[in-house]
Amino acid sequence: MSAHCEETGLNPPDLSVTIGSMILKNPVMTASGTFGYGEEYATFVDLNRLGAVVVKGLSLEPRSGNPPPRIMETPSGMLNAVGLQNVGVRAFISEKLPFLRRYDTMVIANIFGETVDEYRRVAEILGSAEGIHAIEVNISCPNVSKGGIAFGARPELAAEVTRGVRGATGLPLIVKLTPNVTDIAEIALAVEAAGADAVSLINTLTGMSVDIEKRRPHLANVTGGLSGPATRPVALRMVWQVVRAVKIPVIGVGGIMTASDALEFFITGATAIQVGTANFVDPAAVLKILDGIGEYLIRHKMTNIAELIGSLDTDPLTSA
Amino acid sequence: MNERRTMQIGEIVDNHSTAPDHFLMAIRLPASFTTPAPGQFVMVRETGRVEPLLARPFSVFDFHRYGEDCVLELLYRVAGRGTLLFSRMRPGNRLTVLGPLGRGFTIPDGIRRGLFVAGGVGVAPLHFLVHSGFRTAGTESLREAVFYFGARSLDLLAGLARLSGLCDLRICTDDGSRGYCGPVTDLLKRDIDDHDPKETVVFGCGPAPMIQSLRRLLDNNRIPCQVSLEERMACGIGACLGCAIAIGGPGGKTEYRKVCEDGPVFDIREILLTSPVDAQRK
Repeated sequence: MSAHCEETGLNPPDLSVTIGSMILKNPVMTASGTFGYGEEYATFVDLNRLGAVVVKGLSLEPRSGNPPPRIMETPSGMLNAVGLQNVGVRAFISEKLPFLRRYDTMVIANIFGETVDEYRRVAEILGSAEGIHAIEVNISCPNVSKGGIAFGARPELAAEVTRGVRGATGLPLIVKLTPNVTDIAEIALAVEAAGADAVSLINTLTGMSVDIEKRRPHLANVTGGLSGPATRPVALRMVWQVVRAVKIPVIGVGGIMTASDALEFFITGATAIQVGTANFVDPAAVLKILDGIGEYLIRHKMTNIAELIGSLDTDPLTSA
Repeated sequence: MNERRTMQIGEIVDNHSTAPDHFLMAIRLPASFTTPAPGQFVMVRETGRVEPLLARPFSVFDFHRYGEDCVLELLYRVAGRGTLLFSRMRPGNRLTVLGPLGRGFTIPDGIRRGLFVAGGVGVAPLHFLVHSGFRTAGTESLREAVFYFGARSLDLLAGLARLSGLCDLRICTDDGSRGYCGPVTDLLKRDIDDHDPKETVVFGCGPAPMIQSLRRLLDNNRIPCQVSLEERMACGIGACLGCAIAIGGPGGKTEYRKVCEDGPVFDIREILLTSPVDAQRK
């Protein structure tokens, strides 16, 4: 409850949203890869207040990740090539999940693989674990059996991996879309038809940065994923394209640093949002964003976040 | 439930140049700021500024409590846009500080002699260690500190004035403008074998080539050695996985550790002498 509500005696606005069969107490989540396994932030943030924690991407086997340097700051953003380093799905369940189970928040497991079968197996293993509320599928990974093209780059490949995971689990299924495509709405439609309960977008934009003195790339991997405020207008535009194309909920992700950034996504039509790079800048950012959303609704006399979602007015301005 | 941690707002009380491109900054912080252990670091950003995006990590150079306040000192070199902007800040300007973070130096039991090996601005964490951990009022008579300090030239021996009187100083410069002419590890090499490994420990911090020669120098020696390492990092608290360094895992397999959380201080024999990136450069 915000301090404002306590002062005025008003009921706090209803921030709950529904994704598939999952009801979130509020629409604010942490983006995969920016909040560890929750534990890293538990001394900064009361995890009970979050709508959901989306954990670092999980694969069937542990992955050591890319050699350093792995990150580089760029104008209003950062490039990363961490290389999907993670403990593997089994170690996550035995070592990381018990901690998260202690909290009253939804736990969403982000998964990835190099083949459809790998995605399926990770989803199956998670389905038998207690305390996982939904699965988010990262389809930005190269498909090893298809010459390394990203699953998320072609509608038929995106649909294939979605169908595969859908068949392996009854948990709510979110598919996280890559912006590195020609037509993101086409991909969104394909995964919706293949059984996704929601889509989250955008993943990072592929980028690059060069040290001109050494004439070497700043990242050992040469290219990396761009995140942070620099990506926000692109993310918002893609959310706009996708909400008009699909019927399933859309989760907005990309450069959300403040409540006002998040509000742009809700107004555009996002049902929920994820906070990513902002967690690196301020470990308590996600709660400041949540508080700001509630304060905005009160200020605008809205009692439910549903009144805000998709309320964008694009009619030509008429002068009185 | 653990105590909630937050970022703290501090005020610059001093920020002056001590050598070309080197600055010593003093930040006044609330008394609730946790006392750092030698070798720990802080993440610092200008309060209210949205660009640059990320905070910058700095080892603690010194820390003191005065009544209701405490003062944190950072010695830094202008290495990019972030540090350039810090160098232009004035007393009264505000900084947001997260920390202290990471695992610092440990002083093994029974140690009578510390050999400190600093290259350039790498002097910062070693200054704090010698000053507030290794040679305190209680241990002064028991422990000897020999400080090997190297830089490109005399004017780049930033922080030198603050070391005088604390320890037995051995200076070297690449151009011979003061002390021994050559790398700091050469100077150490001359007397390393005179020390009993059971009573001696080496603490190092400096550029990658210095760390690598230190590692080679200690290959045939049993003296323990801890080094403070540097890597670009976004969060400082173990989430971004940006600050990876390679270590030799079981079966000679390369594994990565986080400088922010597993370090910044590591056992020098644990880290891989040549990371895959260094191999590429050859």
